Amino acid sequence: MSTTLLPEEQPLSSHVRTRSSQTKRYGFFPGCVAKESCKELFNSTMLLADKLGIELIELTAASCCGASVVNDVNRDVARVLNARTYAQAEALGLDDVITICSTCTGHMRAANKELLESEEHMAQANSILGKFGAKYEGHIVVRHLLWLLIDDIGLDKLKSMVVRPLNGLKVAPFYGCHIIRPEAVNGWESARNPHSLEDVIEAIGGEAVDYAGKTRCCGFHIQLEKDNVAADMVGQNMRMAQDHGAEAVLTPCPLCHLALDGYQQDAAARWGRTDLPTFHLPQLVAFALGVPAETLGLNKHLIDPRKVLVDRDLIA
Amino acid sequence: MAKITLDIFRFDEAVDTVPHRDKVVVDIPETTTVLDALEHAKAEVDGSISFRRSCRSAICGSCSMNVNGITGLACKTPCNTVMDETGTVKIDPMPNFQPMKDMVVHMDPFWDKYTRLKPYLQPKDADSAHATERRVSPDDMHKLVQVANCIMCATCYALCPVVSVDPAFAGPAAIAYAYRFIEDVRDGERKERIAQISEDYLWLCAHCYACSYCPKHVDPNDRIIDVKRAAISERVMMNERGPRHALTVVKTIKQTGMLAETELIQGTVGRFNIIGLLKVAPLGLRMASKGKLPPIFMKPIPKVDEVRTIIDSLEVPVA
Repeated sequence: MSTTLLPEEQPLSSHVRTRSSQTKRYGFFPGCVAKESCKELFNSTMLLADKLGIELIELTAASCCGASVVNDVNRDVARVLNARTYAQAEALGLDDVITICSTCTGHMRAANKELLESEEHMAQANSILGKFGAKYEGHIVVRHLLWLLIDDIGLDKLKSMVVRPLNGLKVAPFYGCHIIRPEAVNGWESARNPHSLEDVIEAIGGEAVDYAGKTRCCGFHIQLEKDNVAADMVGQNMRMAQDHGAEAVLTPCPLCHLALDGYQQDAAARWGRTDLPTFHLPQLVAFALGVPAETLGLNKHLIDPRKVLVDRDLIA
Repeated sequence: MAKITLDIFRFDEAVDTVPHRDKVVVDIPETTTVLDALEHAKAEVDGSISFRRSCRSAICGSCSMNVNGITGLACKTPCNTVMDETGTVKIDPMPNFQPMKDMVVHMDPFWDKYTRLKPYLQPKDADSAHATERRVSPDDMHKLVQVANCIMCATCYALCPVVSVDPAFAGPAAIAYAYRFIEDVRDGERKERIAQISEDYLWLCAHCYACSYCPKHVDPNDRIIDVKRAAISERVMMNERGPRHALTVVKTIKQTGMLAETELIQGTVGRFNIIGLLKVAPLGLRMASKGKLPPIFMKPIPKVDEVRTIIDSLEVPVA
């Protein structure tokens, strides 16, 4: 199919390969949710990194990225908080910050873009960082683990590492808004017709399900505002996924994971039961690469994903 | 010239109960816009094909429709950028609207939300109190120019996933247009306008950036954030969940460096709002049964003082 991008929306070429892609040492920003209610994401990311032979160096003193909400209060806070995180990575001699959350990706990239494109913003950030002796030099590139898999490992290499192919398991990709939109911030691929998750699903032996919900919103950010609306957004997307044959969902975002895994039950009254198990990106990739299923925290999900793996003869 | 197949949604609410599709082949240059392709089909093949249009140059905002699953102005979309390998372009009406006839939809819910804004200046004093016209500095006007470009095409409203499940939500265009008056120095109803748009669910925006595909670059996604900040600085409806949520996020980051999930639920719903907390309890219990609850007390990150220095250095409103 020809591109669905309008001419003014061509993908950005701003994703330079960093030194980390040679040294295989990356700064790692797990984000809040992977350290709190989705610890299985953090653990499976570390197990996957081991398998891939890369070193993820956690930025243990990093703060929250601002999670899109901080901007509702003040325009500068999230930018300066992220500048502090980047300064920490630079101090460790790293030039890459790898995220495992779509919202972290989008907002850390947005902050970095503002810092790099505006001397005023950079000066403001550094004048505050200077109070505790830190400085951001502007050398950091923020990328999601999903992009690292494709850019630095490569789909062919990934495919060759698979020891437990998914036997054609029908997996619906669910991107999470902030890893694709706005394109001016992310720009790794078309936000309207992305295919990175599909490529990874196919590389590990699954069958990617195409459905309109894959680029839509999970409603996470309004769960506490109006939970029935958030649940409806989950139900609408999961209904589409199931109607297109999906047996499971794969997401690079723990916020989407909390929404999809937690709210399908509440959405069932309006959208019918879907009960699609949702995998975190590193869980399913690590599984295909031979990491033992029991170590991936699959028992932590509200909708147990082990059932589809049993159905496909992937685990006993 | 190329043979392009237009795969068109057909429905007439006066006679049809269900929609059907027609395929119309037109022989036109590939670079023709989808709107001109439809005009060609209407003139040469089937005069009953209905769609709204006027200026043909992205000024009037009439021709927003869904082309190959993507909503935007048909007059700004060349066929060769959207057709598939068989040369087919699939055309549907805007989603989130009730179809009337083919691509013509009932726009009433969208206009209603505009009307509720009172989308005209309401100055503090009478014109007669001014010897000359009311002057606005270039800096003050600069903030409004981008939003004033809105052509009310409803593309953002059609793209909004919150509108798709809850039509009570004002939608991106109305909030962006509310901003146009909220930030106008001549207007005297700033607080009332913020209260009105807050009541129309300003805080129900899901931060999804679907409306970043504005054909006129109004960027409603950014204006929604601006209006929320105005609401907090004017302290409008501060007891509602939206402002409480935003302020609690900042508070927990200041305390721990992280977004503390447990504290966030209590801070947003209300620590003493027993009914509200009971409502979120079932999901909490389901998560607890899987050992998935966030910690009740977060340990602060190393060097959390630096985070506090950052927040204290900036003018950050508190609850």
